[in-house]
Amino acid sequence: MDRHLATELAALLGNSRVLHSPSDLLCYSYDSTPLVSHRPDAVVRIFSQDEMITTLEFAAREGIPVTVRGSGTGLSGGSVPVAGGIVLVTTAMNHILEIDENDLSATVEPGVITADLHAAVEAKGLFYPPDPGSMKISTIGGNVAENAGGLRGLKYGITGDYVQSLETCLIDGSKLRYGTRCVKDVAGYNLTKLLVGSEGTMCIYSKITLKLIPKPQAKRTFLALYDDIIDAARTVSAIISRKVIPSTLELMDSVTIGCVEDYAQIGLPRDVAALLLIETDGHPEVVKEEAEQIQAACNENNVRTLKRAKDEAEAVELATARRMALSALARSKPTTILEDVTVPRPAIPEMMAAIAEAAARYSVHIGTFGHAGDGNLHPTCLTDERDRDEIERVEKAYEIIFDKAISLGGTISGEHGTGLSKAKYLPKMVGPRAVELMKKIKGVFDPDGRLNPGKIFPANGG
Amino acid sequence: MARRIEPESITKALATLDLHEYGDVLQCMRCGLCLPTCPTYRTDGLETQSPRGRVAMIKAVIDGDLPASQDFIDHMYHCLDCRNCQTVCPAGVKAAELILEARHRIEENRPQPYIKKFLLDYAIRDQKLLSRLVSPLRLYQLSGIQALVRKYSVLKLISSDLDLMEALLPPLSSRMLSETIPEEMPAVGKEKGRVGFFLGCAMNILFPHVSRSTVQVLNMAGYTVVIPKGQKCCGAPNIAEGERDVYREMAEHNVRLFEGLGLEAVVTDCAACGMELKAYHEMLARSGNIAGEARTFSSIVRDVSEFLAGALDKDVRFGAIPERICFHDPCHLRHGQGIIAAPRELLRRIPELTVSDVPDDGQCCGSAGTYNVTHPERSMKILEAKVRAIAQVGPERVVTSNPGCLMQLELGRKKWNQDWDVSHISRILHRSLEHRA
Repeated sequence: MDRHLATELAALLGNSRVLHSPSDLLCYSYDSTPLVSHRPDAVVRIFSQDEMITTLEFAAREGIPVTVRGSGTGLSGGSVPVAGGIVLVTTAMNHILEIDENDLSATVEPGVITADLHAAVEAKGLFYPPDPGSMKISTIGGNVAENAGGLRGLKYGITGDYVQSLETCLIDGSKLRYGTRCVKDVAGYNLTKLLVGSEGTMCIYSKITLKLIPKPQAKRTFLALYDDIIDAARTVSAIISRKVIPSTLELMDSVTIGCVEDYAQIGLPRDVAALLLIETDGHPEVVKEEAEQIQAACNENNVRTLKRAKDEAEAVELATARRMALSALARSKPTTILEDVTVPRPAIPEMMAAIAEAAARYSVHIGTFGHAGDGNLHPTCLTDERDRDEIERVEKAYEIIFDKAISLGGTISGEHGTGLSKAKYLPKMVGPRAVELMKKIKGVFDPDGRLNPGKIFPANGG
Repeated sequence: MARRIEPESITKALATLDLHEYGDVLQCMRCGLCLPTCPTYRTDGLETQSPRGRVAMIKAVIDGDLPASQDFIDHMYHCLDCRNCQTVCPAGVKAAELILEARHRIEENRPQPYIKKFLLDYAIRDQKLLSRLVSPLRLYQLSGIQALVRKYSVLKLISSDLDLMEALLPPLSSRMLSETIPEEMPAVGKEKGRVGFFLGCAMNILFPHVSRSTVQVLNMAGYTVVIPKGQKCCGAPNIAEGERDVYREMAEHNVRLFEGLGLEAVVTDCAACGMELKAYHEMLARSGNIAGEARTFSSIVRDVSEFLAGALDKDVRFGAIPERICFHDPCHLRHGQGIIAAPRELLRRIPELTVSDVPDDGQCCGSAGTYNVTHPERSMKILEAKVRAIAQVGPERVVTSNPGCLMQLELGRKKWNQDWDVSHISRILHRSLEHRA
């Protein structure tokens, strides 16, 4: 703890804004990423852009690193202050500033909770589709910084597809705006897009304007059970090739299904190899037509059982298994390491086979579920962080899985970001020249490397 | 006054914690799903005021990464034990129960103030003595004192918080229910069975008319109700303050008292007692001489709505109550015992009664035992959020089933000039059954 630092910050911002007790520093040393944590020297909880600027100017004078944090639900270590310094918490900047029903946009502060925005816009018949798993507590600022996805990504895209303009602070405390509310805007480089997904390493968002769309009127939900995971994977391709884009197309493997049954006994057959949760939404007529196509695609790929929800209550019931997937996996072992590889859809069967092979080779327990519709899989390793030998094997298994994903034209991270966890795989993924270029871009925004240091780029220079 | 704390001995005591009993602290993925449902995180917005933060602190103390200082101890007492986090935790971490265990180990390793010892070791064993203490200062104030003394001097307590406590207490009945009710109340009509009734201290002393209604409703449902004399406190206040020896003694006494009476259930109309009585089998599991009996006892404990939802015949006619009510779930009913549907099913059987939920997914009202006395500022913020949520529904009456909630909601009603009344579910059921056509 650096009392001197905390005292000076408190003199500038007031005591209520600065946290520095040992328990405070401990509680802001982590996010949801397993195995990583590091204590900051002080925590500043800002309530306005002015306080953001005051903090950044102070950090600039003192040459201290600054790491921005929302609710701390990131899965790649994006808000872990690995170099110490100040953690800047944005959760108190949580006002929805405007919902424009005429222009279909919402302007929010970075600390607004994703689910709160959903509720606010849906009350007006509008829709903000990105729905990351942590949406009940994740902040919009964090979603934009990680360019978060979710279950609806296949049909509706991800956070970045909805960001229209950003107001930001740079590391020296200066303000900068990018983008407009215009659907079309090609003035200069598209810095808005560049800053989405920048993981808190280039700027800090102070105000975010998001695009909204009308809320879909109807929905239909299916649960399809398979004896062979390859048939399930083929169904995914078959649905897409029938020119249907479902709003949800989720896959679970047999390990995950087994864990769900162990935990909740919801009546899934134990000998099932995979299941798909499929949902289509939109205009009632279109939904009806797409539902027929989905049924046909399932049937021609040897579906064992296909259940169709009659009403909303049944739809919720069918989605139970998928909603419980992570919980059920998490309960089976002390440590749960959730990964995020993504491959082109046709490569899903091969990727699934590679995951199973890696798990067998290193004798680790991996359950896979994920957003099969967009090729985004979450191979989840069930392990125990106290068992160093096993953790080493887990890392080796993941290395093989990442290599395979890259060789299939996929990516090491679909929606969780690079952060700390994936930094060492980035050069392999994008190539050293691209890493070099990214570093230069980062250097333009943050010449001293004080903004969220240690993230994205491997520590040894890559 | 400030008492000497030895962080080393507390750390040592925590280090031997069997974490596997609490869904394994390691199992916490730090996913943060507990944050939006935690009342203290909702009011304070700080990670240290969240279940995830508290679990991290306990783990850090065990691992020697955080001193077991006064700061740490205070954090263990910021938790309301509402157990909302346990309802939502995907990994099954029992954060609240882990915090209670931490309190126990803390209290065993620091000197206890006299007044706390008096209350938890002595006064609480005897409801008669308790009720006598209540008349000048009252139970609620007293049970608050022992916790307050932990932090402040008694003088400060008396000067600043007396008004709040005065406001909290209902008009006091002259006699406890246990003094006026016979040991057996016969079933109305043909006897369907025999059940025991557990007299919670707060219900017995502060709401005797409500518990009388509970017994009468059970009678109307066809059950003879046995109310053994000499019942002791369920021990929940002791558990909340980390005390276990007197707790075990009282728990054993209660288990023995209800043993061999041929009861098909032991019913309580206090959600906090219900949760505690159901936990006897775990708390007494290592008490060799009584573990089996405790298991049997806990297995027949039922909250009043839980019991009646199953026991009231489908053809029992209810009298109409033309009112709009909303049900406030006591945390120890909804999150502590997982009972959500039963009270609603019962209330929906009453003709012309419009039943809705408080639209906050079972948030705490901020009462939480003595929390409104030990942490008045935060407790009032939590209550204010509750009053606002109730206002969204605009009921004529708020119905609940726990004495702490009854007092806290009544305080909220007065403080923010609301035009709804507060009732225990037994009173509504009693009124409806009395006036059936």
